[in-house]
Amino acid sequence: MRLPNRAALIAGTALTLATVAGIAVGSSGMRHFDPALTGYAIGALMAAFALGYRFTVWAQRPPSRMYFKRGFELMFRRAAAVAATPSSPSVAVAPSPRAESGDEASPKRTATGASQPLFPHGAGTLGYALARNFVAQEFIRRRGGYRWIMHLCLSGGCTLAFAITFPLVFGWIHFSSFPDNAEMYHVAVFGMNVDSFSVHSFKAFIMFNLLNISAILVLIGLVMAGWRRFTDPGERATQSFYEDIVPLLLILAVTATGLALTVSYKFLAGRGHGLWAIVHMVSVVALLLYIPFGKLFHMFQRTCSLCVSRYKKVGEAGARAHCRRCGEDFASQMHVDDLKTVLDELGFDYRFEGAKGEVHYQDICPACRRGLLALNQGRTIGR
Amino acid sequence: MATLTLPEEKYIELYGPTPAHTPAGGWNNGEPDKLVKTHCCFCGVQCGIQLKVKDNKVIGFEPWEEFPVNQGKLCPKGVKRYMQNDHPDRLLSPLIRNESGFREAGWYEALHKTANAIKDIQAKYGKDAFAFLGGASMTNEKAYLNGKFARIALGTANIDYNGRLCMVSAGAANRMAFGVDRAANPWSDIPLAKVIILTGTNLAECFPILTDYVWRARDAGAKIIVIDPRITPIGRTADLFLPVRPGRDSALANGILHVMIERGWTDEKFIAEHTTDFDKVRQLVKRYTPEVTEKITGIPAKSIIAAAEMWGTAETSMLLHARGIEHHTKGTENVLTYINLVLATGRIGRPGCGYGTITGQGNGQGGREHGQRCNQLPGGRDISKPEHREFIADFWGIPEPELPKVGLTACEIIDAIERGEIKGLLSISFNPLVSIPDSERTRKALEKLEFFACIDFFLSETARYADVVLAGSLQEEDEGTVTTGEGRCVRLRNSVSPPENARVDWKIICELAELLGKEKFFKYKNAGEIFTELTAASKGGPIDYSGMTYEKIEQNMGIFWPCPAPDHPGTPRLFEGGKFHHPDGRAKFHAYEYRPPAEDVDAEFPLFFTSGRVVSQYLSGTQTRRIGGLVDQYPEPLCEMHPLLAERLGIKDRDIVRVVTRRGEITVPAQVVKSIRPDTVFIPYHWPGKKAANLVTNRALDPISKIPEFKVCACRVEKVSDAPKLAAAGQPIPLKSK
Amino acid sequence: MIGAFDGNEFFLDPSRCIGCQACVQACAECGTHRGVPMIHLEYVHRATGVQTAPVVCMHCEDPTCARVCPADAIKQDDHGIVHSAAKPRCVACSNCVIACPFGVPKMKVELDLMMKCDMCYDRTSVGKKPMCATVCPSGALYYGPSEYIEKFRREQPVNEFQFGRQTVRTKVNMMTSPELKALPFEVLDFLPWEGKDFDPFELSRAGAPDAAAAAVFDKTP
Repeated sequence: MRLPNRAALIAGTALTLATVAGIAVGSSGMRHFDPALTGYAIGALMAAFALGYRFTVWAQRPPSRMYFKRGFELMFRRAAAVAATPSSPSVAVAPSPRAESGDEASPKRTATGASQPLFPHGAGTLGYALARNFVAQEFIRRRGGYRWIMHLCLSGGCTLAFAITFPLVFGWIHFSSFPDNAEMYHVAVFGMNVDSFSVHSFKAFIMFNLLNISAILVLIGLVMAGWRRFTDPGERATQSFYEDIVPLLLILAVTATGLALTVSYKFLAGRGHGLWAIVHMVSVVALLLYIPFGKLFHMFQRTCSLCVSRYKKVGEAGARAHCRRCGEDFASQMHVDDLKTVLDELGFDYRFEGAKGEVHYQDICPACRRGLLALNQGRTIGR
Repeated sequence: MATLTLPEEKYIELYGPTPAHTPAGGWNNGEPDKLVKTHCCFCGVQCGIQLKVKDNKVIGFEPWEEFPVNQGKLCPKGVKRYMQNDHPDRLLSPLIRNESGFREAGWYEALHKTANAIKDIQAKYGKDAFAFLGGASMTNEKAYLNGKFARIALGTANIDYNGRLCMVSAGAANRMAFGVDRAANPWSDIPLAKVIILTGTNLAECFPILTDYVWRARDAGAKIIVIDPRITPIGRTADLFLPVRPGRDSALANGILHVMIERGWTDEKFIAEHTTDFDKVRQLVKRYTPEVTEKITGIPAKSIIAAAEMWGTAETSMLLHARGIEHHTKGTENVLTYINLVLATGRIGRPGCGYGTITGQGNGQGGREHGQRCNQLPGGRDISKPEHREFIADFWGIPEPELPKVGLTACEIIDAIERGEIKGLLSISFNPLVSIPDSERTRKALEKLEFFACIDFFLSETARYADVVLAGSLQEEDEGTVTTGEGRCVRLRNSVSPPENARVDWKIICELAELLGKEKFFKYKNAGEIFTELTAASKGGPIDYSGMTYEKIEQNMGIFWPCPAPDHPGTPRLFEGGKFHHPDGRAKFHAYEYRPPAEDVDAEFPLFFTSGRVVSQYLSGTQTRRIGGLVDQYPEPLCEMHPLLAERLGIKDRDIVRVVTRRGEITVPAQVVKSIRPDTVFIPYHWPGKKAANLVTNRALDPISKIPEFKVCACRVEKVSDAPKLAAAGQPIPLKSK
Repeated sequence: MIGAFDGNEFFLDPSRCIGCQACVQACAECGTHRGVPMIHLEYVHRATGVQTAPVVCMHCEDPTCARVCPADAIKQDDHGIVHSAAKPRCVACSNCVIACPFGVPKMKVELDLMMKCDMCYDRTSVGKKPMCATVCPSGALYYGPSEYIEKFRREQPVNEFQFGRQTVRTKVNMMTSPELKALPFEVLDFLPWEGKDFDPFELSRAGAPDAAAAAVFDKTP
């Protein structure tokens, strides 16, 4: 990767400026900005820059770029239209005799491709994928119930905490007591009053304790994750300190110091509050800066899965790739063709040519590639 | 009258086979409490393996690389063998038959019911009307105990074992040729051989570990000759492959010897000094010219000559065979004609030179040594020889006349039950309904029994017919020794105790003996005491274990018999210096004319039927059909046939076909493959009921060894036209097949 | 304490394979993917013969799978081991499955996750042998010092493959003829050109065993 990466610099800068603008506008021209939270705000701006930079660097990689590009294209096009447009001449390769004789893939294509010609546009797929992958995290449930609960606790707790603290830090949400009644509060969002409540109400209890609730969720998740990292033989073998342990420690630091603040003002009459506040701020900023460069960046990378969902759906309905050796349907033709492009961009060239013709290794199914390995090896030693 | 009271599905629902896929405690079952160095329970190689034990359950395995025979290597059965001890089908208490199948019972009731039934039947019909059937997957200790129990506690002559279905013809031939029944060489001689003949052995699927020995020989430049009607995995890369027509093995061996004699590729000095009767053979094989042999065997004359040249001129060599030449009405003759090939070259009793039969059952060797055969007493003694009878009667402390005489062999016992001569049966680790040919007759025989008791750890298809089922022990739930196919006695260590109310096999037998009033002969505190008695009983016999102890076996990772004294290191290689075990010290040639199988092909039944194993299943499948991973590998029997035959019959791959013989029929999917002779079809035999290959096989017996002719009979094959639904009902494709 | 790999290497010789699946069964015992085998073992073409193709991950020096991964999910460690996709990152797009020249990665659709052979990292990283190579009864899979292979095998290892114009270097060795420095790899010879009846063994090996050599019906007595 060339450094400095211009596009990434621009993206980072833009995201930082957008955050600055967000703070300025959202806090009604800094009127609702709490100067005590300046450290957090600066940390957030640094993280915004890093995030923009890192995301752009990643999204420029040929395979990622291909998915984002296709994701955007397919979002605005009908699936059947995509299927009908050959994206490269190799679709025209005559299918093998086996394919003509009717393998499993053919009826599928007729059913979804011809008799039900139109898919809804991509929005449905996108919404569905968003709900399924990001909110319900259904794919993790399939990987294991324990991990699903663990991850829901961690991601839910963190998301909740950030959803409260970022608007507070940026001054987007602002609480103020009534001038005449210290027991009644206004809630202002982007400078506009939206609600008011008594400090004795249940609503108030929830509002003031939301961060503690999120902390407990996160703690449950952390204990579960820690237990797994200590006991699962597979994880123990393959985990790395920076990728797998550091994020847990950072989240633990944030949670523990945050709770320490609560303990301090609730039970210790504010003793040690100042110190804890600083430690908490340092840990939060460290976590924010870790996000773009470590394991937690996955929450942004998973946006790619939205493109993949759509890509797969369109691919299933469209032209299928049949293995040049066995004739079996093994992928969508779009996928095979796109991979050829990506491989070219990456500098790989798996083209075979000889007296009989030419074949790209991407046109051979994975099972046949395994068989060909044995055949070619056997041939060199007469077995 | 022991007819089934429940429909088959109900037995399966209650007692399995249930293919279990996950180990005890799930896949993440944690760290084991201990690792137990022991052996695999499947096949005569007896690979070393370490079982992981936690909370008295076997939860996994770890390779045992220090054990010299397999050095950590295992076949798929060995890898998954640990999945039996915590299995949902495991019998946890005795069962007594009632109108609704079985009910759980206490040991007192089950044992008394059994002992009383034995007494009643013997009082009414005589001692021999109660028979005992043992198994060759059990320890030496149990093999010895079974024999002693039958002779002393039951007083019956009719004790035999399922090894009768396995390699008795090889055993008989070995005794006739060499004067002793054991593989002549340790496996470690295989890599030293320059030419290896593998005849009638699907080595790669039935004894996978030996594949490594063969490859090591090939790495050192050895050539291999594979003789089989099917291109087995080891046959695929053979230097010479001879696709013999089923049932023609002795003709082929005679034909090869003909060429060797003609071209002078025999060791006349060795023959003169160390053997007898070669002239009879020389005379006999004169007629077996390559052309005549080609006509009989279906193997091109030039291949026969090539085999003779390769074998005849070899520097060192090993000949290995298994059931392929043994499962015949001339099984003993087949083996003897192949032994002729070994003796004629004089290449035996030296490093890299020798011969071996590969035993298929877990204790195929040891199980046939210690007296659980109808014609044998401990130490490989002969029950018909007065001095042998005298020795053992003395040893056991009974008068010689009380010692029963020769009894019936396994198949003959089933026949005698069918005829109504035997009324009661106690069987252990034997599933004759699946493993004996002509299963319909076996079923009818079981139905005729007045009383039938089984000792087993899973309810086998045969055990469904039992009146009393005594919940016994798996190999890992007991301790003892087994003797491997190379004659190495190895130590099985106890990993766990039997679950819940199940008991160790030998204790059940001793308790029954007690109820039959013979407790003073069966006072054992542990398996070790039985072993000590066994070794003492073998002293001075043809099979001498008297110098062995558990400690010595453990220290040496096994001891080869004969081991006649405490300071004797054992005998890995027999016949060194050309000394054989016949009284004259010579080996004996045997001249046997080729004769056709009991049932040959004809116009009505024009095809050969043969059966055998697949790598993922063991014997009647009582154990392996309960292990999910193994079931997935090859879920149900397929009928292999050549495309030339399939085309004639209008059959395509996975079409449902019916294979019909004079005894019955079996309906299975076809597997159309070029790896089998076009005149032969093959179905593996591990499955019960309608999927049992033994529905169609022939129960004709070898007159010498009484082994049945599993490997050849005549059949016809037809396409089942109304069966597309059957095909859709999940016909398995074991591996991706394109 | 024995170190990771400890001077041992992986050697693959598919020609020895007997298709017994001990490796597949044992692979499911591996700690990093318990219950799910990662090694591939298939018949090359069962209708014509019994040849089987065992394939473990070859652990390419420059892994195509990792390079085509849109989510940076496939990582190669300092030992050169290419690991299963990182669970948080993998988006189950199958790029790696389709692009791997050896056909190694497995898409676990039910898990939305690519998993692959990692040379039993839980074992090899603490000095044990991989499950598959420990149990393999034929020597098709061997893990140990290269001196053993040099001394005892007639074939010799290479770790370079020529896929058309693409050279691929791998950590895992392939046994081949001692004259060769790289495994020549041909595809065109093995394609069913012009609708020809497909028999790869005819194409690959003259004089292979033929069960029908003399077994013609008319000669059956």
